[in-house]
Amino acid sequence: MVKAASDALIANRPTINALNVFPVPDGDTGTNMSLTLRSIVESEDVNASTQSAGDLASKMARASLLGARGNSGLLLAQLFKGFAEVAKDSDSIPPSALGEALGRAYEFSQQSVPNPVEGTMITIYRECSEKASEREVGTATEALEALLDNAIDAVRRTPEMLDVLAEAEVVDSGGFGLAVMFDGMVRAINGIEPVAREIEVPMPSGRKFSGSVDSDFVSEAEETDWGYCTVFSIEAENLDLDQIRDHMAKIGRSPIVDGAPGLAKVHVHMEDPGQALSAGIKYGALSNIEISNMDTQAADWASDRRDDIQRTGPEKLDSPPIAVVAVAAGEGMSDLIENTGLGATYVIEGGDSMNPSVAELLEAVEKVPSDQVILLPNNKNIIAAAEHVDELTDKTVRVVPTRSVQTGVAALLAFNLDESLDANVDEMSDIAGEIGEGCVCKANRDVSIGGYDIKAGMTFATFDDEIIAVGRDSDFVLTKLIESKASDAEIITVYTGNGTGADVIERLSNELAEKFGDLEIEVVWGGQPHYDYLVAVE
Amino acid sequence: MTIAVVTDSTSDLPPEIAKQHGIEVVPLNVHIGDDTFLDGQTITADEMYKILPESKEIPTTSAPPVGTFVDVYTRLAKDHDAIISIHISAKLSLTYISAVNAVSEMADAKVDIRVVDTEQASMALGWIAVHVAEKIASGASIDEAVEIAQKAATRASFVGMVDTLDYLVRGGRIGKAKGLVGSLLRIKPILTVQEGEAHPVGRARNRKKGVVMLEQMVADASPLDKLSILYTTEPDAAQAIADEVASYAPDNKPVVAQLGPVVGNYLGPGVLGLGLLRAE
Repeated sequence: MVKAASDALIANRPTINALNVFPVPDGDTGTNMSLTLRSIVESEDVNASTQSAGDLASKMARASLLGARGNSGLLLAQLFKGFAEVAKDSDSIPPSALGEALGRAYEFSQQSVPNPVEGTMITIYRECSEKASEREVGTATEALEALLDNAIDAVRRTPEMLDVLAEAEVVDSGGFGLAVMFDGMVRAINGIEPVAREIEVPMPSGRKFSGSVDSDFVSEAEETDWGYCTVFSIEAENLDLDQIRDHMAKIGRSPIVDGAPGLAKVHVHMEDPGQALSAGIKYGALSNIEISNMDTQAADWASDRRDDIQRTGPEKLDSPPIAVVAVAAGEGMSDLIENTGLGATYVIEGGDSMNPSVAELLEAVEKVPSDQVILLPNNKNIIAAAEHVDELTDKTVRVVPTRSVQTGVAALLAFNLDESLDANVDEMSDIAGEIGEGCVCKANRDVSIGGYDIKAGMTFATFDDEIIAVGRDSDFVLTKLIESKASDAEIITVYTGNGTGADVIERLSNELAEKFGDLEIEVVWGGQPHYDYLVAVE
Repeated sequence: MTIAVVTDSTSDLPPEIAKQHGIEVVPLNVHIGDDTFLDGQTITADEMYKILPESKEIPTTSAPPVGTFVDVYTRLAKDHDAIISIHISAKLSLTYISAVNAVSEMADAKVDIRVVDTEQASMALGWIAVHVAEKIASGASIDEAVEIAQKAATRASFVGMVDTLDYLVRGGRIGKAKGLVGSLLRIKPILTVQEGEAHPVGRARNRKKGVVMLEQMVADASPLDKLSILYTTEPDAAQAIADEVASYAPDNKPVVAQLGPVVGNYLGPGVLGLGLLRAE
């Protein structure tokens, strides 16, 4: 029977995961519930051949508690605890025990969660046990079929009880998981093959589940601070579970405390997991500590659910030991720098025609949450101003003299938060010194440099400040530039300017790959003003 | 007194090395859709890497159930007085917790079982197990073996250069390497396991530069007690690194080994890496 429920959960796992928004939208309810059931199915004790119903139920309860994963797993374990309680000392379980066991599961869940919320698995236990007590006891098959109907009805109404479900346009995932289990059990008892089938999500007023949660809800979920999910066991003689539960409720959210007088299993959500552990250690020895960052889980969940998977920059670190302040122009370049900067990099707008002042650089340095700052001027005309910042602040400021933004990106790749400030500056400066810098841009007036007469409106390419090629077409000039450097280059990165789309990047990538097969050439969007292309040669 | 050494399949120990040292390797599970496989036993690494890029539902992995450990420990208890069970970081897998639970289930058994969380993975874990087995063979007691394992854990490293962080992200094991996610450039992240979880050690602009960085890491870590060059899908590339750094390996012979299905599920195809144990 449990095997049937388990198989049914597995068949519906993706849907259950997709429904998961409460208490944390991390999309793992289906997985956690099926793993919890599997711990029963695979339990040696449970599979031992001859034993009474009472013994079997208590072994199942123990196996499910030991194997419980996540919030939903712990609540599911309460159902088996309910059965164990009802079946205690009996040889068989009568159909009437079903409603009673659900009632006990409801009570145990209430005890495990100090602020029980309706619209969750708890509601399913409560409603199903109430309905069962109102019915005349029939056969086991009838009892199970009625249970399934009642559960589906209750699941359909969960959004009425829990606002967050209504906002996300879903029903409760754990509740739906229970209905799925009951469906598997009904099919098993009636001998219907296959036992496991995908069942339709019972949505309010006959709507169909769209397969994913509402998109506004996804964005909101990402912005909420979920904190850390902290799970641990406390071992000590005579533990007072109620006292521990109250304590956890005071300092954290969604606490579940369960167990026996000698062993308590604690599950709590909070900003500072250390606080939960310090509180727990007052009661006894801690073990099986598991801490997971729900912000990342929620963020991963949100990004999984976006149709177009957009890349997002790394979350900014609260207090990185070292921060980088980089000067850059163009949205693409700013994104590139932030994405390459390990969550510790800040961009100030600036560049060729808008060099930031010493005061602006100083202001940016003062603002970052680190006492050690590496400045990337990313322009030869800003290096001198950057060198002055250190004497104006209490912070330690070091300059890696990057002469161009493409060199700045390359230097950032060597940035490592585990290394000291000096080691970083040395390593980044070495890289910066090895990069060849090229650019392709239009002349805005007639000039004569290095033997070339360049008319206004013509395109030219420079490499390390020398003119390499002049022409009418920027792609032609870019090709000439790469050609002249191909023999001593290993990797060439081309950053495309403001106004270039994905189509240009793709076309250029293909053309360059065809022309310079042996070279690794990467074309990325820089979005910089003035320059059609910026080029880094390594 | 006889002592058995147990580890788990995330050690990526080549079977002949495990056999040579009499190490019992308990497999984790790999779940693909509705099918469950035993890591390295009912699914091979090559099969896994063929499935991995194509699979619609993301493969997941799970710790060996408590019962599996109870079976293994019970079998070993017949002809051993003690067991040292050496495992993958508890922050990466529930394997350690499963083993600890098995020990408490066996509280009545006469055998003395010790479980060690190495805070390591792959061949870093594998080499710790081999090192402990060698010391036991030359007479270490169970107490000494635990201490040897814990000390070796601080000298062991697993380093991998991955093609993409996608597998680590989707498997929920990104750890401290989170800051590397989202790079718009085709960089090759180089990762290690530090304080029990994934941690970035570098970013190579391309594979060739990454290989040079890996080779430099071998040189920096020497002198070495053990050295293996690891791969998921490219044995020839791993062999080339092995040839380059052979002089740092004991007897000038680094072991070239393939990452198994569980570890590979989180790193993906195209990985090159190192598993090493620094000399005391």
